[in-house]
Amino acid sequence: MSSLKGRVALVTGAAQGMGAAHARRLAAAGATVAVNDIRASDALSELADEISGVAVPGDVSEPEVCTRIADAVAAATGRLDVLVANHAYMTMAPILQHDERDWWRVVDTNLGGTFHLVQAVLPHMRRAGEGRIVVITSEWGVTGWPDATAYAASKAGLISLVKTLGRELAPERIIVNAVAPGVIDTPQLQVDADAAGTDLASIQAHYAETIPLARLGTSGEISAAVELLADFSMEAVVGQVISCNGGTTRSRV
Amino acid sequence: MPEAPVAIVTGGASGIGAATVSALRGRGYRVGALDLSDRADADHAVAVDVSDGAAVTGAVAEIERRLGPIAALVTSAGHYEMALVGEISVQAWRRMLRVHLGGFFNASRACLPGMLRRRSGAIVAVASELAVGGGEHDAHYAAAKGAILGLARSLAVEVAGSGVRVNVVAPGPTDTPLLAADSPWRAEDYLATLPLRRLTAPAEVARCVEYLVCDATFSTGDVVNVNAGAVI
Repeated sequence: MSSLKGRVALVTGAAQGMGAAHARRLAAAGATVAVNDIRASDALSELADEISGVAVPGDVSEPEVCTRIADAVAAATGRLDVLVANHAYMTMAPILQHDERDWWRVVDTNLGGTFHLVQAVLPHMRRAGEGRIVVITSEWGVTGWPDATAYAASKAGLISLVKTLGRELAPERIIVNAVAPGVIDTPQLQVDADAAGTDLASIQAHYAETIPLARLGTSGEISAAVELLADFSMEAVVGQVISCNGGTTRSRV
Repeated sequence: MPEAPVAIVTGGASGIGAATVSALRGRGYRVGALDLSDRADADHAVAVDVSDGAAVTGAVAEIERRLGPIAALVTSAGHYEMALVGEISVQAWRRMLRVHLGGFFNASRACLPGMLRRRSGAIVAVASELAVGGGEHDAHYAAAKGAILGLARSLAVEVAGSGVRVNVVAPGPTDTPLLAADSPWRAEDYLATLPLRRLTAPAEVARCVEYLVCDATFSTGDVVNVNAGAVI
């Protein structure tokens, strides 16, 4: 078990699904948690109230917004020790049909947003002399996926970003790692079902068929990996990708 | 309050094994240790050579009688030595394979029937960064650890439908008795090449084992690399 007492964490994409679960888990471990999502909402401020944290809405694909968010967290709490970059935007389309502006919106949000966030939180972590950065990538960033060129490329880019920053920042005891979830039962699944013209139960069963553990994952199971990587009692996991996919990438190192 | 779950840790008397015993006890497990030494600081310790299948089966049965049904198994027993490939004796080769790969195989076979019957269990094998990246002057060790990955991933799929998870931790050079005082892994110029600039601590490996045993309920056939950045 870890203790995050006295630490401050920023979780992006936290209004629902996995991000909300990460925020609750880190708060339960003792951290003060700032929650971000692309826009202010009742869900976001209710979550902040529930965990006695702060809400810092804003679009992380904009560099100056990231700076404003990080500085607002530090101003409100005095520090910023942990970044959980969980925000994501996903659309799927066959490559010739994928609208170019939308393709770049996926990459600019997922990969660019994390890059800007790391730049924004680094001064605060350097001031503290240590830090933890946990990036949520995806199994599809490892395996690729048909019709998900933008999403898979953005997530594969995040893996390389994490490996590089793992090497670059470990000497300063700022530890960077990733979690690669497989198919997780979150509200995004309904969006996928609607886009595929099917219903939620069918798409859940379809995905579960290919998973050795024969079920989808839960947000809380991803949060457990996030908590491991945010644990300040351990720093020897550096630049790694922790898989949580029910066994589907077992054939890959 | 329900009975505390029971874990078995091989190599539990020292190094990563001893740190794992401590971490799992911290999470409420009662722990049985299998080691050449019976001096493990565990709830029950049995002296056994993990390369001896029949002896391991007997030791697991003894722990089950004393502590209860086995919920988790961690295979950490191992030894290390350096030699050029041409200088590895047949005896040294066999010993390396039988302790590392055989120890994992034997202990899994002893614990699995009960886990499968109860449709619940977690197995974690301790491999090495050398299983992923290969080694230098320790080919028999790297081969044995690589074989652990193959066995773990195969076993993971075989038992995935039965509620049993099988995962691996792959430590880098760790500050344990396995690393001699004059080991090249302890040399300043080697440590300077690591992003973290230091050896991995046994407690850090144990923290990852604890995660895989207790928290990683959607992971099977996976590898957690804990190596101070030695292999990224």
